[in-house]
Amino acid sequence: MPPTALAVVTSDATTRHPGLTVIPHALRFRRFSLRVLTLLLGLLFATLMATYVVVSSANDSNARDHARANLELAARIVQSAIRQRLDFLASSASVMAGDDALKQVLRTGDNRTLASLLQSYTQRVGAPVIALYDADGQPLASSEPGMDDENTGPFRSLIRTALGKDLAESSGFAYLRNKLHVLIVVPLYAPHPNIFGWFGLAFPIDRAFAEKIKDTTHVELTYLSLDSPQQPHLLATTLGQAAIPTVVNAAAIANQARADHLPRPATEIIDLPDDRYVTLTWFQAMLGANPVALVLQRPLSPELAPARELENSLLLTALAAFAVATLLALVIARGVSQPVRQLAAHTQTIAAGDYATRITLDRADELGQLADAMNSMSAGLAERDQVRDLLDKNVSPEVAAQLMRDGAALGGEEREVTILFADLRGFTTLSEKLPPPELLALLNRYLDRMSGAIEAHGGVIDKFIGDAIMALFGAPVTQDAPADRALAAALEMERALVSLNAELATEGRPPLAIGVGVNTARVVAGNIGSHRRLNYSVIGDGVNVAARLQSETRKPEYGANIITSAATLAACRRLAESGLPVSAFSFRPLGYAQVKGRAEPVEIYAVS
Amino acid sequence: MPRIFLHSPAPVLACLLAFTCHTSRLAAGNVVVIVKDTKGQPVTDAVVSLIPLEASAPAPLHPPVEPVVISQHGEEFDPYVTVVAVGTHVSFPNLDSIRHQVYSLSKTKPFEIPLYGSGTEQSILFDRPGIVALGCNIHDWMSAYLVVVETPHFMKTAGDGVARLAELPAGRYRLDVWHPRLAGESRRDLVVAAADAATQTISVTLKPDRRIRRAPDGAGGGYK
Ligand SMILES: [Cu+2]
Repeated sequence: MPPTALAVVTSDATTRHPGLTVIPHALRFRRFSLRVLTLLLGLLFATLMATYVVVSSANDSNARDHARANLELAARIVQSAIRQRLDFLASSASVMAGDDALKQVLRTGDNRTLASLLQSYTQRVGAPVIALYDADGQPLASSEPGMDDENTGPFRSLIRTALGKDLAESSGFAYLRNKLHVLIVVPLYAPHPNIFGWFGLAFPIDRAFAEKIKDTTHVELTYLSLDSPQQPHLLATTLGQAAIPTVVNAAAIANQARADHLPRPATEIIDLPDDRYVTLTWFQAMLGANPVALVLQRPLSPELAPARELENSLLLTALAAFAVATLLALVIARGVSQPVRQLAAHTQTIAAGDYATRITLDRADELGQLADAMNSMSAGLAERDQVRDLLDKNVSPEVAAQLMRDGAALGGEEREVTILFADLRGFTTLSEKLPPPELLALLNRYLDRMSGAIEAHGGVIDKFIGDAIMALFGAPVTQDAPADRALAAALEMERALVSLNAELATEGRPPLAIGVGVNTARVVAGNIGSHRRLNYSVIGDGVNVAARLQSETRKPEYGANIITSAATLAACRRLAESGLPVSAFSFRPLGYAQVKGRAEPVEIYAVS
Repeated sequence: MPRIFLHSPAPVLACLLAFTCHTSRLAAGNVVVIVKDTKGQPVTDAVVSLIPLEASAPAPLHPPVEPVVISQHGEEFDPYVTVVAVGTHVSFPNLDSIRHQVYSLSKTKPFEIPLYGSGTEQSILFDRPGIVALGCNIHDWMSAYLVVVETPHFMKTAGDGVARLAELPAGRYRLDVWHPRLAGESRRDLVVAAADAATQTISVTLKPDRRIRRAPDGAGGGYK
């Protein structure tokens, strides 16, 4: 799983509370699968693109290398073509030297006839320029009428070189009539090794030559004069007119770099109107002039054509892979999001309180485990709900809640509570008059009303003891003004009984009467019982006092249904002094009552 | 044995020839020969000759007294094609300021005139019938043909491809047509009647012209 997606998912899970409606969940899961899909496809796309770029650039540099190799080969072919031509001219010269007609003409010393004979030779040999010099390099005749000193100069320079180095031939590049030529001088022996004079032969490096090289090498050739280095001028080219200015500029720059002895790349790429050209620039030394630039160029696109084909098929493969990956990712994402959506929906069911429905995901993976865990959770929740239900009926909701919260542990704590004891008077007489089911129905009706009055004031029913009720205020849950609440509950019980009695009167039954004792004391509160069965309750002297106060209400001389102790009165007063709102009770002192097991009598009051 | 003449123009020679023919026979006819190529274009410089087939004795040739002239002018032969009867002297005057070296390796008459300039003329006797291809050792592009025939009845076609042969004694003849570029042979028999003016149209197949062209003046024959 990619880290980013994980981060997003966890943050969602932690920051959002579950239990929202189903629709946003579904939307979010759809987005999640979309993210996974996007990420996977993004990664795949990036990989494919990277591959494509790597292959493409490898192809590019490959094509350049190939073009450069071709250009270097072409440069060697140019040299070789020139060399072959020179060799041919040299051997032609030796054949010419053996021509009897030449010897006859030379004997006459008639240089004009010699010139016309040389014209014949130009056709035989295919060299446009043939000149003859004497042994000292003085011009005798030339196939070209009016070859002046400037034009014969390069030949004479070659003759001097050949003489100086005792060479059988000498060649070089020069301008003849401002056109680029390759020149060669060959001795005219008469007889060997006596040098009578020198043949000077030349052929032009022109467009025809360049085209011929292009035919064999498929390389564009351009010769540029560097006589004015800033503005090279064109000597010969195979290129179209539109390309020439660019090539001329590039040659000027290359020449500057050469002149400055700067490092130059073997080849460079020049953009010409029709294509990008791999370009190799050579500099050819000249006889008595600045060098000429030989620019060899090869278009890049034909070189790249096979590579482009490869790249295209690579691209097609990549697209196919991408499409397949998209389908697969969709299937996988659906395989993940479908059960997750199911689980989410099931969570909604559980949140709505349905613990009975089970989810079935037929998978062995983590999602399957999650489904099992959810089913276990549903079972657990159902069980807990059942327990809670039973608990609610057997103990008060507050006790049940505290049990649910704190667990049913043995033990206890000392705290101040207000204990209320209520007893139905004359119940024994009643029980003799009524049949048991009716009796129990009446009792339950009575207890229900009393419980309602107690709970209305925050009291907790501790237990029913036959027709008697024991209720606690301030335990097990601490609450404000427990004494006040207990007295209010007692008065409420009185009123509830009045209304119950009115109902009973209409039913033709005798009225009921109660006695209530309320005491406030520090007692021990906690779960009391065995490990199997526990009761939350309070124990202590204060409980006995409360029961005792309840039984005091039976004394007719007090004329009171509700009797409380001085401790409760004091608690009510503390409350009033603390400034909290208190109920208005009237306390009528009844004196002191003796409680069994207590040395000191208890000061008691009637409450109304 | 070479003899030296002052050169004389060709038309005079032709008149002379015609006159001789006219006087030799009484009953005579004319033949007009039109030479065309396969495209119907007139062929210039075709040599037309009529050889009598029935004569008991060979017709007298009457070669001219003055040599026929093939000059060198502007580093070319002039004319390109010349036809003469057996026994004719031909001179090769050089009208140029440079020298030439005329030769032939043809079996009809192998010869060479060593390198010579203007002012001197050498004439050569052509005593056997046949084709003589002429060249110059100095100038490869110089080329000419001399056709030596064994009959007094011959003519070269002009620009219109027409050759007129007049004053032909009546009788059977073999008509030969030759041209430097002729493919194969072209000959036919024909009968010439007195006062006849028959027209013979002859179609010939010519090979392409492969003469060396002189290089244009100045630089740049170009790379070949
Ligand atoms: Cu000549």
